[in-house]
Amino acid sequence: MDSAKLSLRGVTYYDPSKAYDGYTLFAPLADFFVWLIDMQGRIVHCWKMPYTPGQQGVLLPNGNVLYLGRSETQKGPEKELGGYSGKLIEVDWDGNVLWEYENDYIHHDFCRRANGNTFIIRWYGMMPEDVEVKIKGGVPPSAHVGTRWGAPGEMWATAIQEIRSDGTVVWEWKDYEHLDPEADIIGPLDWRSEWMHCNSIEELPDGNLLISARSLSSIYIINKTTGDVEWRWGPGEIAHQHDATLVENGNILCLDNGMGRLGSEISYSRALEVNPQTNRIEWEYKDNPPTDFYSGIQSGCQRLPNSNTLITEACRGRIFEVTPDGEIAWEFVSPFYGYYMAPGWWNVIYKAYRYGPDYDGLQGKILDPKKFDWISRSYGLHRMHTQ
Amino acid sequence: MAFVRTRLTGVTINSSLKTYSGYTLFAPIGGKQTLLIDMEGQIAHQWKMGHRPGLHAELLANGNLLYAGHVPQGPLASLTGAGGEMLEVDWNGKLVWKYEDPYLHHTFCRMESGNTMVIKWVKVPKEIALEVKGGIPGSERDGVMWGDSFQEISPDGEVVWEWLSYEYLEPKVDMICPVCSREEWTGANACEVLPDGNILTSFMRTNTVAVIDKNTGAIKWRWGPGEVGHPHHPTLLNNGNILFLDNGRHCTGLSIGYSRLLEVNPKTDKMEWDHMSTPWCSFFSCIMGSCYLLPDPYDPYGPKGRSLPNILVCEGAAGRIFEVTHDGEIVWEYVSPFYYNTLHFGRTNMMFRACRYGPEYEGLRGHYVAPSRFGGVVQEKSDKAGEKRARVRSRLEALGY
Repeated sequence: MDSAKLSLRGVTYYDPSKAYDGYTLFAPLADFFVWLIDMQGRIVHCWKMPYTPGQQGVLLPNGNVLYLGRSETQKGPEKELGGYSGKLIEVDWDGNVLWEYENDYIHHDFCRRANGNTFIIRWYGMMPEDVEVKIKGGVPPSAHVGTRWGAPGEMWATAIQEIRSDGTVVWEWKDYEHLDPEADIIGPLDWRSEWMHCNSIEELPDGNLLISARSLSSIYIINKTTGDVEWRWGPGEIAHQHDATLVENGNILCLDNGMGRLGSEISYSRALEVNPQTNRIEWEYKDNPPTDFYSGIQSGCQRLPNSNTLITEACRGRIFEVTPDGEIAWEFVSPFYGYYMAPGWWNVIYKAYRYGPDYDGLQGKILDPKKFDWISRSYGLHRMHTQ
Repeated sequence: MAFVRTRLTGVTINSSLKTYSGYTLFAPIGGKQTLLIDMEGQIAHQWKMGHRPGLHAELLANGNLLYAGHVPQGPLASLTGAGGEMLEVDWNGKLVWKYEDPYLHHTFCRMESGNTMVIKWVKVPKEIALEVKGGIPGSERDGVMWGDSFQEISPDGEVVWEWLSYEYLEPKVDMICPVCSREEWTGANACEVLPDGNILTSFMRTNTVAVIDKNTGAIKWRWGPGEVGHPHHPTLLNNGNILFLDNGRHCTGLSIGYSRLLEVNPKTDKMEWDHMSTPWCSFFSCIMGSCYLLPDPYDPYGPKGRSLPNILVCEGAAGRIFEVTHDGEIVWEYVSPFYYNTLHFGRTNMMFRACRYGPEYEGLRGHYVAPSRFGGVVQEKSDKAGEKRARVRSRLEALGY
């Protein structure tokens, strides 16, 4: 594993005058731990989870971690659908599992509501035949003789559900009842094993839902009352994006992975802000050269209170914070390597989150790097690696 | 700028007991110099050219440099890979031979006969272009789809043989990648002339590696669609297999973004060897790239007195060159510190190909390659990034970090 890009780890850049002070939470996909580090990269807390991350964990305002884990005994869809998880758990500061929702079909993301309910994304049986025959795009089944993905009759439907803590479904939205086969076309390089490949969900202040569909390279606002698509945007502008969130100025922020970007000579990722009223991109962050920031899969971006954006470049295990002008204020490379999926040994992280020291979930918590110094040292995280 | 990516430059790994020692030649895409570096990354020789590479250079056995240059005023100058001139210069940069054609692109092959095989863009006749499947609908450049032709050029500049791709390809079989534009059909990026005279090539946009029969023009062998994503640089191995770089771009399904070296047996169409780095994503060149097989090292205890050779890989888009053994161990690695601002790729250190010449190579014989002549760094760049890092470092120190 000796390579120019891999020998750096920990915090490689930090400008305290520009970075948003706080703690960064992330879950390396290859292992069972969720780590909380300070701005110098030192571990200040960790949780040992009973499952590896299906994708990620978040720190709730109540101080618990809500974590989507991967079930080893999953009996659901083929694991190749990507993002499969199966176990949504809420864990307290000391790692005790307080709540568990088990469902082989849940994947990618979740959103905890103020009333204690949770939105989840799940695969929901096979796509009804009369809808499937109208859905356009994707790799034609004839193109991959010998595999089942996307063969006719093999397309999974997606549902978004709101569940109570006892697991009861109190609200549901199904893709085949609301998406439009004329507008929502699967990308030409994607399997026809799903229509959407939904990978993020956020509840908006007005109660509507903001979701991201990777196979359609589109983000949507869904009306919670009617289920109608209020707004859709993306094809031709973004490619296989993740993590759509609302920011203060009313724009939508998302991580445009750029996998299969139409007509582009090079492969690059970017974080961007689109105005849903005008459909114009009002801000973007790209690296220079653009190819230096590229993650074909996963990844995320979080807008911080100081207007910076925390970006996770999943495939390279890199978390970094950029100012609105595109300057890097903080950068961290994960030293946590392990086996994950076919690509084997790597330090992939799905998405990281930053929490300020006055975040509710951190109040009253002991965040002393000395307590975890022995772990930090073994990963080289006891000090920064800036040059 | 991504600090992690760009901070490490120069030779970062050098397991000298396992490498094929010699000099490595490459031409940074954004600059006008071709560099020959030693195993420690010091510049042993350089050639300063009039134009940027279109797209690379090779050191010939006669000691001259054969250079494909990019002529910026050409009609297709903005297409990736655009060239326009072939220059042969001697060790001191003096022009020995020149061939110009505004439609030259990507690469070349100097043949034993002294002729040069080149690739040129030609217009695909409209009626054929309409039949070609794939690509983004309506994205032809001014309504034209450009195809490739291979031409053999004599030292006098005469075209003595020509192959037009559109006469031998099949629109229904050779489909353009669905997310690429239709301004080109194939995107040929290699033209290796094999010992039997046939031509080994790779078509980036149709994801195909192919052998063209020189006598009939027929495609004797093609492989790739559904298996690779935008391949580059196929070469013929002693065992008859084809080694090439599968860039791994625009693959179907979960195209994570990793490149690999593949060895395919053309008789069985089976992959017999591959190499991915660990982690896979640490080796990804979305465009460009090469993989030169190095000479078999002498091994008196190995089969037939030879051991399995190393491969010199150029991860073009990352400006990184590394030498890997057959077992997948990286024994030499170099990251180019030569960054230039370019129109299409930003501030980049990309190069198209990189080749290694051992001390016994005829082209190096008798030449003076001492690095001491190029003491300082040749590249003209300010160290603004370094100055900034120093400022922030002192600020951090003042804060007690």
